[in-house]
Amino acid sequence: MNRIAQGLTLVLLGAAALTSTVPTDLYLNWVKPGFGPFLIAAGVVMVLLGVLVIVAELRGGDQALDQEDVVPSGAAAAGDDGPARSELDHAAAEYAGHTGDGHGHDHERAPGVAWLLLLPVLAVFVVAPPALGSYTVESTGGSSGPPPRDENGSSRFTDNLSEAAPGEVVELDVQQFVMRAWVDEERELADREVELTGFAVPTEDGEGWYLARLQMACCAADAVVNKVLITDHPAPEADTWWKVRGTWVEPEGELYDASEHEIDTSSVEAVTDPPDPYE
Amino acid sequence: MSERTTPERGSAPDPATSLGDTIAGGWDDRGDELPPADWGRSSSSRRTGTVWLFALFITAMAVAHAWLTDDLTGQAFLAWATIFTAISFQALPFLVFGVALSAALVAFVPTSAYQRFIPSRPGRAVPVAGVSGALLPGCECASVPIAGSLIKRGVAPAAALTFLLAAPSINPIVMIATAVAFAGQPEMILARFAASLLASVVIGWVWVRFGRADWLRLPSRTHAPNASKWEVFRESMVHDMMHAGGYLVVGALAAATLNVMVPREWLMAVAEAPVISVLVLALLAILLSICSEADAFVAVSLTDFSPTAKLAFMVIGPIVDLKLIAMQAGVFGWRFVARFVPICLVVGLLSTFLIGGILL
Repeated sequence: MNRIAQGLTLVLLGAAALTSTVPTDLYLNWVKPGFGPFLIAAGVVMVLLGVLVIVAELRGGDQALDQEDVVPSGAAAAGDDGPARSELDHAAAEYAGHTGDGHGHDHERAPGVAWLLLLPVLAVFVVAPPALGSYTVESTGGSSGPPPRDENGSSRFTDNLSEAAPGEVVELDVQQFVMRAWVDEERELADREVELTGFAVPTEDGEGWYLARLQMACCAADAVVNKVLITDHPAPEADTWWKVRGTWVEPEGELYDASEHEIDTSSVEAVTDPPDPYE
Repeated sequence: MSERTTPERGSAPDPATSLGDTIAGGWDDRGDELPPADWGRSSSSRRTGTVWLFALFITAMAVAHAWLTDDLTGQAFLAWATIFTAISFQALPFLVFGVALSAALVAFVPTSAYQRFIPSRPGRAVPVAGVSGALLPGCECASVPIAGSLIKRGVAPAAALTFLLAAPSINPIVMIATAVAFAGQPEMILARFAASLLASVVIGWVWVRFGRADWLRLPSRTHAPNASKWEVFRESMVHDMMHAGGYLVVGALAAATLNVMVPREWLMAVAEAPVISVLVLALLAILLSICSEADAFVAVSLTDFSPTAKLAFMVIGPIVDLKLIAMQAGVFGWRFVARFVPICLVVGLLSTFLIGGILL
């Protein structure tokens, strides 16, 4: 990979990072919203660096390049040219080993693997991957919801259920709902009307459907599924977004043994895709 | 001619690049580099070829964007593409700033500064490096190039490797993330810190004792002796971006594939067995290659597993995973990886069992 190719790859990669953050919200499909500024900064740095490399190459890289053209890349093993090394690289030379694996002159050339940096560019501009949805929920199967984090009592719930006035409709994340339904031994959720937003996922046995939302800690690779079962409303098309109001169906017996959390709906409303598909 | 036009492009790159701008930019590039001032010399014709290649690539992307994007509806493929893109873009800023920091170390910090701060005896330098890993925020994508440049500046390789392992494992951001995920379980936070630091330092000492210099391949750079510091900075940044970045993509490809292909039920089936469950979560950490800043949240979600198994997930993940292996191979070579990774795995697991046995 020669210098121009390296520079252009960097520019394209930077452009992909910037395209998915500045003019569009594509990046929300993959990472947390707070990550946007970092992606923008990284994109700017890469575009600048790429442009600098190209400029430097066009201005004065001739001699270095010509020299390199003489040495076939496979024969770089012969390049154990100790005296040519600068003082600065003394330490490097000591550990270099210089096994001649095809890029002895990597000051100028990059290994072939660097071409793979164009894959994320292709992904952004051609595939434009959507947020994870019903496919992921279905294929993760049985396990539903996040775990109890500890047993400290209800003070650990970060939702606004406790503060809300009785009778008020409480807006909860699907994750908060599932957490409450699973571990809140005081059952504060009982008889409270809540509002949840998520996408529709068909159930395996075709009875009812799930309102699901993916919870993301860092990026889509660590997304955790949260889902709530709805049986009293006809199943909508998979991956359509809905705002559901209703009350929790209290399970019989121990909360912890409940494998699914159900909600009795009072209203089901279609919503356009929320800007951030994850919680 | 090209000398006169290119600086303008350099001084005003448009940060708000859209697809249209990218395409237009590609065509501009081509326009600029066509002037046949030194036409006919092999290097410049090769350059022109490269520019044409990229112009073709960009055009193909534009065509594919217009004709193909809406037809890509395979659910599994899209989930895979999402996870691949997510891992790549999640790591990209860390990579860029890690590379910038390591380039700054190479270009602006004189060698003598390291000799002052880090003991010259490797045996004593290792713990110093381990503890200093707790100070610098950054994930594993950043620490690989930094460790490379530390070695180049004359820091003992064992100490630099300890830093490489400790920095992503116990830096402040990771510890805060762990504390958030395991709220109310301070012993888990302490166990993570202790087990990771112990593993990093022990691996460093093992390397002091048994490591051989020629296992490490560091690219020697022949900077022109009169190169300015900024040129050195630019060169080492591009170099590290190209090496570590390419392998980061390899790791992201592997991790996304496994993430989509391996069903979670397989994992749950082995959660009960005491020792096996620890090994399974260690293996999972290697395969998933989750950034160390996020792995605590994943670990806490694996409820069926024992605390020691979760600890293994958090100790092994930052020191051995697919993405990291690929990046280490890019910076240090496969000869190094073939020796270093097994040491890390064994010492990391022993440390997990020891600390897990004491604290959890």
